[in-house]
Amino acid sequence: MERTFENEIGMLRLGEGETFYGEGILAITKGLLQSGVAYVGGYQGAPVSHLLDVLVSAQDYMVEMGVHVEACSNEASAAAMLGASINYPVRGAVTWKSIVGTNVASDALSNLASPGVLGGALAVIGEDYGEGSSVIQERTYAYAMKSTLLMLDPRPNLTTMVDMVEQGFALSEACNMPALLQLRIRACHLQGSFKARNNRKPAHGPANRFSDPAEFDYQHLAHPPVTFNQETRKLRERIPAARDYIRDHALNERWTGRKTSRLGLILQGGLYNTVLRQLFELGLATEYGESDVDILALNVTYPLVTDEIVDFAADKGHVLVIEEGSPAFMEQQMLRMLVDAGASVTLHGKDFLPESGEYGGEVLAEGLGRFFTETAGDELDLAGILKRRQNLESVRQRAAGVTGMPLAPRPLGFCTGCPERPVFGAIKLAEKAVGKVHVAADIGCHAFATFPPFSMGNSILGYGMSLASNAAVAPLQARRTVAIMGDGGFWHNGVQTGVASNLYNRGDGVLIIMNNGYASATGQQFLPSTRHATGRFRTGNDIARTLKTMGVDWLKIVRTYSVGTMVKTLKQALTTTEKGLKVIIADGECMLARQRRERVRVNDALQNGRRVAKGKFGVDESVCTGDHSCIRLSGCPTLTVRPNTDPLRTDPVAHVTEECLDCGLCGEMAHAAALCPSFYRAIRIHNAGWFERALHRLRQRLIGALAEPG
Amino acid sequence: MPATRLLIAALGGEGGGVLTSWVIDAAQQAGLPAQATSVPGVAQRTGATTYYLEIWHESAAQTPVFALMPVAGDVDVVLASELLEAARMVEKGYSTSERTCLVASTHRVLTTQEKMARGDGRLDAATLMRALESGSKSRFLFDAQSTASAANAPINAVLLGALATTDMLPVNAERLRDSIARRGVAVSQNLRGFDAGLALTQPSARRPAGAPADKTVTTSVSLQEQVAGVAEEAREVARLGIARLTDYQDSRYARQYLERLQRFVDDPELQREVARNLAVRMSYEDIIRVAQLKIKSSRFERIREELGAQRHDPIEIQDFFKPGIAELADILPPRPGRRLLALAQKKNRQEKAAIAMRVKTTTVWGFLQVWWLAKLRPWRRRSFRFQREQKNIDEWLNLVGAARELSPEFAMQTAQVARVLKGYGDTYSRGEATYLRLVEDIVRPALRGEVNDDAPHLHLRNALAEILAAP
Repeated sequence: MERTFENEIGMLRLGEGETFYGEGILAITKGLLQSGVAYVGGYQGAPVSHLLDVLVSAQDYMVEMGVHVEACSNEASAAAMLGASINYPVRGAVTWKSIVGTNVASDALSNLASPGVLGGALAVIGEDYGEGSSVIQERTYAYAMKSTLLMLDPRPNLTTMVDMVEQGFALSEACNMPALLQLRIRACHLQGSFKARNNRKPAHGPANRFSDPAEFDYQHLAHPPVTFNQETRKLRERIPAARDYIRDHALNERWTGRKTSRLGLILQGGLYNTVLRQLFELGLATEYGESDVDILALNVTYPLVTDEIVDFAADKGHVLVIEEGSPAFMEQQMLRMLVDAGASVTLHGKDFLPESGEYGGEVLAEGLGRFFTETAGDELDLAGILKRRQNLESVRQRAAGVTGMPLAPRPLGFCTGCPERPVFGAIKLAEKAVGKVHVAADIGCHAFATFPPFSMGNSILGYGMSLASNAAVAPLQARRTVAIMGDGGFWHNGVQTGVASNLYNRGDGVLIIMNNGYASATGQQFLPSTRHATGRFRTGNDIARTLKTMGVDWLKIVRTYSVGTMVKTLKQALTTTEKGLKVIIADGECMLARQRRERVRVNDALQNGRRVAKGKFGVDESVCTGDHSCIRLSGCPTLTVRPNTDPLRTDPVAHVTEECLDCGLCGEMAHAAALCPSFYRAIRIHNAGWFERALHRLRQRLIGALAEPG
Repeated sequence: MPATRLLIAALGGEGGGVLTSWVIDAAQQAGLPAQATSVPGVAQRTGATTYYLEIWHESAAQTPVFALMPVAGDVDVVLASELLEAARMVEKGYSTSERTCLVASTHRVLTTQEKMARGDGRLDAATLMRALESGSKSRFLFDAQSTASAANAPINAVLLGALATTDMLPVNAERLRDSIARRGVAVSQNLRGFDAGLALTQPSARRPAGAPADKTVTTSVSLQEQVAGVAEEAREVARLGIARLTDYQDSRYARQYLERLQRFVDDPELQREVARNLAVRMSYEDIIRVAQLKIKSSRFERIREELGAQRHDPIEIQDFFKPGIAELADILPPRPGRRLLALAQKKNRQEKAAIAMRVKTTTVWGFLQVWWLAKLRPWRRRSFRFQREQKNIDEWLNLVGAARELSPEFAMQTAQVARVLKGYGDTYSRGEATYLRLVEDIVRPALRGEVNDDAPHLHLRNALAEILAAP
């Protein structure tokens, strides 16, 4: 794993009244322990990868607490894990990235939600919406509505977030509905503090097992003939029970305005801080959250509590619903509630706020400013609004184009020494001989190949979906198609949605599996085929063996850095007359993971006087002509350019910085692409023995005598 | 609001997350309400990323409502780890002249887009610096990279030290130092970096480093005298050209260079640019030249220093060569050379017949393999490539000469067309094709008066710029 949370794990042990300092994700974990969970699991993905990392790092403590931990193979298996709470009164939590993870989990979620749960079931979902997001922009809310799941969206401070974990379980048990706890990206990475409570051991768990299985009860199966009955219970029993609990325990928070209650704001809990900060900037609230108008913050956004909404709107002229994204599900529901109640209030929402995109400070300042200007009359002091608007406008105007040139973007990319980069260089070279091919990209670090210098990939259809997405492309293309898949995507579902389906349909095409050994993009979590896995995760599954068993005949394993071999293999795969799926396993361990091991080994050897050969690549500037074709085939962060020291040439020359990890790609590329002879690899031998030193001296003398002057 | 709003802009892998933790921890230890957020996601993979912090100046009875994201115009301090990222913060309005103290490193980490261009794709550093000046109320600009490397410390610790010099944080340097120690990871290294940053009270490196070093030029007296015949503006370049060509071939070749320059003596600026491009063209890279450059004694010294090795520490250098039929044909006499090339093209074997060699030039045998190639220098004059190059060079010079009749500017641009000729193998062929296209599509038609263009030099200049900017 990229981050081990060993330093932070102490925070999980804090007791009543002690102050917890740390990240949102760690606080949620603490909340799970305070709630007495019996089992936890999940599938990694930003922004909740660390939740799983924390759980795995805290394995010993979890055993001590009697909690079962599982690193699930995908989100569907994580959601299905919650099935334990259908028959047994145990609390369980799982986590994944949404919307993508919820899409994968949805079958299990539907089948979980229909029978309902006895023990509290909580899915902590990282809502990857807005700035910094890496997935499609959709919200998870629709799932809560269609499957009748509780949706919690706590105010983004650690106290409320942890309270909502505990309340979420209680609420889930009170109404038998599974709950989704939604955390926005920044809430997951928020560093703050809260007052801890004692952890609770679960009544039942691995340390205290049930002696017998649950009684057979058809109502626990999402299967005819009880499905209609389950649907009725969702609507007639569970939702009303949920509403009662939410209202009775005041899970949603309401504040009365200092100046007027004729105006009000209803907002998703997660947006509370951003809204209150803008009210402060507009001169309509203090920095401590005391607002001039009424506010209802919904820490539970589904189901909405009818009485709460109607009651809040009762004496008001205008209410603004602040809800991110479209469709405006909450606004629409509230509208219905208010119409049914015969309320005279005017409900606003998307008429003042954008239909799409994250609600950041600028957007809210603008929307709130307009809302109050049009509705407040003389009840509020609106001077601040005008000033704020002018100020933001002038900042925007002066900032835009301040340099008078477009600033080059800096998207994320392959790390220094990444084993996946060479594969895309090899595809570029193979295409020179074979012609352009259709490339189906996938989710994972290899998706960085869609950025310069490779700009490669015709489609991304989801995690592990590349090969499946070529099913109808391949038969329509004159040349063979290529699908890129990571080992993460392979085990996530590519093995069956892609490989099994292709073999079954006697498909054709080339599949490149990036076997770097980890789910690297999310922080190097272990996979079933991880070779260097530690502890209980060492399962030794092997991708090649799996493929052979499934019936893949054309299978090559190529070391990724061997660009020449890779180009040859690719050309072969793309042109052979042999029918059927051709799989190339591109083998090379994630450099970040490898370096974490290597650094320790090398430092240890250096300190103990053992021989160490440390290499790095370099460029002879006098030989480099400054055409930068090497960069267009590599994109390595350490391969850059610098001013030409040759006064006769003006274009900058290639340069390899000190951070070079000696992965070997520059040399391989120089050969495979017949690039140029300016690359060299230089190795320094540390702690050399006497013979090696003597030999070096002798060589130096002879070479020194013959070397060209200058 | 009695609080500091701090935005940190960094690149993935620089330790911005740890830097954020140091600041938050120091504030929490001081009993100040504080919060930080970020959107790392997968941005740790070398992309640009930001961290946002809010720190109250005194402990408050009520809990403040912290914002989770920065808003344009509302940020008190921007700490940027690199020049372009600092400019980006100005462009997004996070750093403004009314409010913001900008603490930024002025070194550049080039983006892929800048590095990829065929010519020079780098953003103009002076323009970026001006944006920093105009987009901040106060500023502390310094080179964090060189400070970090001089102190042998991580860059994030240097940035923290620099931040501590500004008095914009409600926690003092001692508290920050404590939080580095409390974290317990690479403490001595981080403290070293922190102190190096703290010591940077004076803006030291205001310009990104890397001005071309002066090269000492040694040429024979007689050639020096001949340079006297070159226009004064072009003399320095001509001297460099002579030195280069003497080293490349011999003094006779250098004389030929001067003779070729003579015809442009009445236009000093043109003569300078022709002198520059002509020297590069005449010293085209063939196997012999590469071999010569690879066995220069200065090269071994330079690489040894790069590795930080002492004189007697064993080092090894591996060079990567892949000579093919084209490279062999280059150094054969014209007739066999041409025939070999034609044969290879016909059988389509040009690509396959190259030999990938990894030569250890620090071993005696490896060195000798390269050494004898360098010794072929006298032979070069009789080679296929040499004759072809001389013919092409003369053609190009004639074009430049003819272009002078159209306008001095057009002649200047025609001289610059030679810049697209660079690289090896495929890259060189592509450059050659581009060169021919420019000549046939733009230069010659203009010379023949076939184009109705008031300023054909602008047309040519733009075409050239476009080619050099393209990847």
